[in-house]
Amino acid sequence: MLKSRLIFTLLMKNGSYQLSRNFNLQDVGGLNWIKKFYNFNAIAFSIDELIVVNVERGEKNVDLFCENLLTLNENCFMPIAAGGGIRSMDHAYKILNSGADKIIVNTPLVTQPKLVRSLVQTFGSQCVIASIDFKKYDDGKIEVFIDNGSKKIDQSLEEAVKNAHNLGCGEIYLTSMEQDGTGYGYDLNTLKHVVSISNLPVITSGGAGKYEHFVEGIQRAGASAVSTANLFNFIADGLIEVRETMIQKGLEMAYWDLGFYKTLK
Amino acid sequence: MISILNFGMGNIRSVQKALDYLGIESQVIKSEKQILESRKLIIPGVGSFRLAMENINNKKLFYPLNKVVLEKKIPTLGICLGMQLMAEESEEDGVTQGFSWIKGKIKKFQGEKFKIKVPHVGFNDVFFEKNNKKLYSGLGEKSHYYYVHSYRISYNECDCVSGWTMYGEKFVASIEKENIFGVQFHPEKSQSNGLIMLKNFAEL
Repeated sequence: MLKSRLIFTLLMKNGSYQLSRNFNLQDVGGLNWIKKFYNFNAIAFSIDELIVVNVERGEKNVDLFCENLLTLNENCFMPIAAGGGIRSMDHAYKILNSGADKIIVNTPLVTQPKLVRSLVQTFGSQCVIASIDFKKYDDGKIEVFIDNGSKKIDQSLEEAVKNAHNLGCGEIYLTSMEQDGTGYGYDLNTLKHVVSISNLPVITSGGAGKYEHFVEGIQRAGASAVSTANLFNFIADGLIEVRETMIQKGLEMAYWDLGFYKTLK
Repeated sequence: MISILNFGMGNIRSVQKALDYLGIESQVIKSEKQILESRKLIIPGVGSFRLAMENINNKKLFYPLNKVVLEKKIPTLGICLGMQLMAEESEEDGVTQGFSWIKGKIKKFQGEKFKIKVPHVGFNDVFFEKNNKKLYSGLGEKSHYYYVHSYRISYNECDCVSGWTMYGEKFVASIEKENIFGVQFHPEKSQSNGLIMLKNFAEL
């Protein structure tokens, strides 16, 4: 049976890794910090997939991002998705040549639909993830944003989901800007709604703070994958324990022997 | 020393990175001469079957591959598209002939018939056959591997299955025939399950 996925997302800005709350960023550390002090290897061995997003505001430095990506994925033996700032085929090639297996697009879904179609044609649907950022207000109204959550667009959430399908994307990476970084859990109602209108697998993001939140994302809302970008909530063995909790609660998860890595280094 | 064949179909670096991590020596090769000198071979690859065969034929690599695999019988592992090329033909983008080292035709998953999403993406169960499972030594009766593909060999069409997966239907996850090995999944993207498998291949 196809397994549910646990994903860790790294947010990078100018070579420095970020903690995000409602899309407001806080510098945490550079590549060395991530690799050495954050014990990134231990995390990389306990997840199904890694996502790396360039969250630099304004025009993004794709080359610096790619340099980081190359170093980051040295000891990663899982699929890696990366994006943020892809505005041309050349950017996509650079990112894929830096060790990514998939690319993530957000703003081009609205501003450069032709580019997204070319990406799908060239690399295949499975290679292109549509990232959709939304904000839900107290009265239940939902708005969709691009440009790192800075620009509201005219599409409704349903239209944005449909647009991702029409352009041929292979997955949806759905982020609640209101839940982002709060640790209060995913926006399950909206997630469930998107899953119900989507033929594509949905990765949920924004709000995971407890082990149970990951389980809810899949069991209650039907997500194919659950992710967290919080650098501190699941530090040390946190993600291993998240994984164990998901299995205990009856979710189908991939299993591999973590001990094998210790026999090597 | 394992030779990794680069014939312009990607995914070379992640395979070599996995071997590096395991402390296994490897080299990326692309010429006829390098193929003939190889003692152990990995044929990786992602993308279109047709384009892959065009590249193999344009670079005149089919003859040396046949020579080392069928005559010298060096251990050879095809990964994803690399395994598909070992079969008779593929219906991807028109019918294209493959190497015909193993029986089987490559056809697309029947998404609508089985109500499955195509491409098949993610970790899935691989059940090992009782015999023919040198690559799975130390991994028990089944393991989990990462897939990303739309085309497959149907289980009943192949005579050298070493592992299978259920996705709407039973399809060939891996093959083993004397010195010829192939996996439809990506060991280099399957955490330690894949590393163990690659180590087994290196130790053959």
